[in-house]
Formats: sequence, structure tokens, C-alpha cells
Amino acid sequence: MTTVIDNPTESLRLFRPELVLSGAMLLVVVVDSIRARWRDGLNFLITAAALIAAAVLCLPLRDKSVELWSGMVVLDPMSVFFKILLIGASFLVLLMFQRSRELAGLVMSEFYALLLAVTVSTLLLATANDIAMLYLALEMVSVTSYVMVAYMKGDRLSNEASLKYILFGAVSTGVMLYGLSLLYGLAGTTSLPGIRDALAGGITDENRLTLYVVALLVFAGFGFKAALAPFHFWCPDVYQGAPTPVTAFLSVAPKAAGFAIMLRFFTSGLATPNSVPWELAPTIDWQPILMLISVVTMTIGNVAALTQTNMKRLLAYSSIAHAGYILMGIVALSENGARAILVYLLAYVFMNLGAFLVVTLIHYYDGSFELRDYAGLWRRAPYLTIAMAIFLFSLMGIPPLVGFMGKLYVFAAVVRTAQSSTGVMAHWMWAYAVIGAVNAAIAAYYYARVLKTMVIDEGNEEKAPLSMSILDGAWVGALVLANILPLLFWTSIEGIAHESLKYAGR
Amino acid sequence: MIGIQQYLTVSAALFSLGVLGVLTRRNAVNVLMGIELILNSANLNLVAFTRFSRLDAARDAARHAMDGQLFAVFVIVIAAAEVAVALAIVLTLYRLKRTPNLDEATSLKG
Repeated sequence: MTTVIDNPTESLRLFRPELVLSGAMLLVVVVDSIRARWRDGLNFLITAAALIAAAVLCLPLRDKSVELWSGMVVLDPMSVFFKILLIGASFLVLLMFQRSRELAGLVMSEFYALLLAVTVSTLLLATANDIAMLYLALEMVSVTSYVMVAYMKGDRLSNEASLKYILFGAVSTGVMLYGLSLLYGLAGTTSLPGIRDALAGGITDENRLTLYVVALLVFAGFGFKAALAPFHFWCPDVYQGAPTPVTAFLSVAPKAAGFAIMLRFFTSGLATPNSVPWELAPTIDWQPILMLISVVTMTIGNVAALTQTNMKRLLAYSSIAHAGYILMGIVALSENGARAILVYLLAYVFMNLGAFLVVTLIHYYDGSFELRDYAGLWRRAPYLTIAMAIFLFSLMGIPPLVGFMGKLYVFAAVVRTAQSSTGVMAHWMWAYAVIGAVNAAIAAYYYARVLKTMVIDEGNEEKAPLSMSILDGAWVGALVLANILPLLFWTSIEGIAHESLKYAGR
Repeated sequence: MIGIQQYLTVSAALFSLGVLGVLTRRNAVNVLMGIELILNSANLNLVAFTRFSRLDAARDAARHAMDGQLFAVFVIVIAAAEVAVALAIVLTLYRLKRTPNLDEATSLKG
């Protein structure tokens, strides 16, 4: 049982990471009003310092388990895990901004303010403990991302992507809000633990139907954030039209925050209290619904990625497929599944941001996102090609890279659930694991196709080798190491993931 | 006597009209109007539930009594922010393409 902190000053003390980020955001806006040439540089430093400071400030909060602001936001080991993950992702994306040809020449200070704002809102989304807070945080993430996607003002694709994103996002979150309002009517409170207690008190048969509808409506919002089918249609268009660093950010941070809030919503909102944490409200057949969504998501992502010729679009479909794999952790409805989600998201941040970094750098030095222009890159940029190979192998899930560990954990969680379930559900779980494995095999094809183009295909012989700066090389190298080295420290990472499973409301 | 049912019926009708508007309109501004209807149907729900909820009596009344009303106020603010951003983007796109119609926004596909 967690304690609720009603005292605002006490809450403020435990809210330091968010405060630092919000303060830095305001500071960036103020500095931006100075009409001097160095303001972009200064703002970059402020943003970087704020992100590092916020991550450091998260560390001492690790073993707390409290609800801040009278139960609006929760602080527990899992929330600290997600906070550090999200801040880390923002930091990597901030570095990527410096090498974006699309953003060159634009005023960057506003962009830094937007990045800090969206980081704060992802943190709030990952820690929301009240449906009002959940909706507010979700909309904060969305509205800021709409602006970031449309940042290239004179660019048709950027604006069209943003318009599609905004209309899709507004409808999904509106539908979710309608579901949340019905949930409020059912439970009489907006707090997630309160809702759980109210639902556990038993509901009538008419309300059972309402709860079913609520679950579907609310899933529209989560599905939109995490790009799950059938709410994934915005994803490829937005990823292609947005500036590449923003694409990289969207593919990682809102997705991670979306899964964090999904875990939290299901466990502290709809679980049966005082049981195994994953005993979800027995009113709804959760597993078949989630399983169907997961299967459709990964299959659509992988099959559509097979024919893509634009790298950003290809990675967009690949990220849809990965969302399907991550959802496997929720379908397992077990402690193992929750841990698999944490491990997978950790791996996903490194491998996906790595792949996007290489795509950004190739565009910066070579000016193309089209796969056909990647031909012959092996001769012109061997270092980048090797790095890309490692990121793509990691995305495929080849040992000994982190991507493999992520896949291992989700598949293990599903298999474990299959072993322990009985009757027809056991068959379905086994079939589900097999479908996941088949999908991983399909995915290997299009990742390998990128490598084949880079290494084997002829082309671009007349172009000079890419001369990359040492800093860029170091930075790609660091991400490559982040994909290889974790296996050496696996016991401690496993330990961290295990510790992070202690979440409030259990 | 007007009770919770009447409110819920109106809000469900508003929600359906909103979804219908979103699905059938070609003009981006009209789609935004549909989205407003969806958000306001949820607001109506929230306010009506706060007013009529019998569950509240059993609960810690001082703490949760106004939750729904407050939620509705936040939703109104969010809706305004969202529409401001959306209209700005519709305008920039209109400058670039000279049309507010969504079925002509086809540069990105595949």
C-alpha cells in the first residue's frame, strides 16, 4: 500500500526531475528572446545540462513508493526506471538534432523548449495515477509532438504529416476521453487505485457491458500513442514527413511512455486488488483481445515493411512491428511479461535510436533517405555500414546483441503463460508464440535487404567516400557498444529490471 | 424530471455526430469541428456524472466530489490548445497547397 502525500512542499521535493526540466524549458524561452547569435548554442547547453541533471536527480528517488500531489502522480521504482529511460532517449535525440540537414538554418531554441516540454510530459504520462492526469499528460505529449513534426514550416511533407498526425491523434484521444468519462461514471472517482477498488466491489450486468466498451474506447488512446493496429495509420506518414531526429524521438519516447501507462492503467486501474498483480478484472476476456491486436500489429508492420524504399518509412513499419512484440509482454499478463516489457524497451531505445542516427548521418553527409542511394555505401563509408549492420542485427534479434535479449524475454514470458494456462487458451498461447517467431523471421528479410543494398549492390561509384567527423564516429561507436556490452553485465541489468517491477498499487 | 439517462443520451448522440463528422467531412476545419463534438460529449458525461453520481456518497466526499467538474475544465483548456495548433497547421498547409481538403493531402503514401 502506498502513502498519499497531500502536502505540496513535500510533493515538490520528490518532484525535482520534472521541476528541473520545466525550469530549463522556461529558461530556454527567455534566452531565446535575446537577439544574439550565440543563443542557440547556449540553449543547447542549457537543455543538455537540464536533461543530465534531471536523470541524476531521479537516482535518489529509486526506493520510494508514494503518490504525489494527493494521488495525481505516482513515484515508485518502475516510474524511476521509465523516467531515466525517457530522459536518456531525449538526450540522445538532442545530440541527433545537431546533425540534421533538414533542421539546418532553422532557429533551434524553440525546438529545445519543445523537446524539454515533451520530455516532461512523457515523464508525467509514465507516472500518471489519475485518469485526469493521464489524459492531460497524453494530450501534452501529443500537442507538443504535432508542433515538432511541423517544424519545417515551408516543407509540404512536414506539414502534411503533422496534419495527419493531429487529426488522427485528436480523434483517438477524444474517443479515449469519452471512455474515461464513462469509467469515471462507473467508479465515481478519477483516481486509478480508487477505480480499481470500486470495480472490485462488484458491478451489475449492464455495467459489465459498459466496462467492455470503456476498455475498447480507452485502448484507442493507448494504441495511438504506442502505434498499435488498428491505430497505426498515422505512423508511416508522420515518420516520413517529420524531421528525422523528431521521427527518432517519436519512435521511442511516446511509445515507451504509452506502454508504461498501459502497464499502470491495467495493473492499478483494472486489476483485482490483493491478488497476483496481473489478475486483471475478470469481467473482460483480456488475453484474446490483446493477443489479436498484437498479432495484427506485428504482421501489418512486418509485411508492409517488406516493400518500402524509403528508409524512414521502413523504420516506421519496423517500429510498428516492434510495438506488436512489446505488447506480447502485456498479453502474457504476468510478472515475467511486465519485466519483458522493461527489458525490451531498454533494448529498443538503443537499437532504434542507433539505426535512426545512422540514417540521419547518411542524410547529413550524403543527402538521401532513399534505399537505392544506399547502394555501394560499404566502399564509401565502411564504419557507418558496420554500425548499421549491428543496429539492424539487434533489431532482428540476433544474439549476442541487446535486441536478442528483448525478444528472448517477451517470448519466454508468453511461453511461460502458455505452459501455465489450460484448455483452449493454452493452444492459442502456443500458436501466438509461433506467430511471433514467424514474424521475427519475416522482419529479418527486410533488415537484411538494407544491408544487402549497402554492401553488395553496385552504384554510386563516382561519389567520393563520406568523410565523417570524429565526434560523429565516437557517438555512433558509443551506441554500437550500448548494443553489444549490456550482455556482459546482464545479471545487474536483470537485477535492475527486477527491482523496477515494484510498482505502486500492488 | 430530467435524470442521468437524458444527459447520457444527449452525450452519446453528440459523440456519434462527432465521429460521423470526422469520418465524412473532406474539409480539415469541419473535421476539427467533429473532434470538438467528441470532446464536448465527454465533458457533458463528466459533468452529469458528478452531478448525479450516487457512488459519491459512499466515497470520501470532500476529496472526490468535484473531480469530474475539474476534469471537464481541463478538457476545455486542452481542446482549445489542440485546436490552436491544428488550425495553425491547416493554415500553413493551405498556404503551401491552396486547399483545405484532406483527400488532396496525398504527398505521403505507400
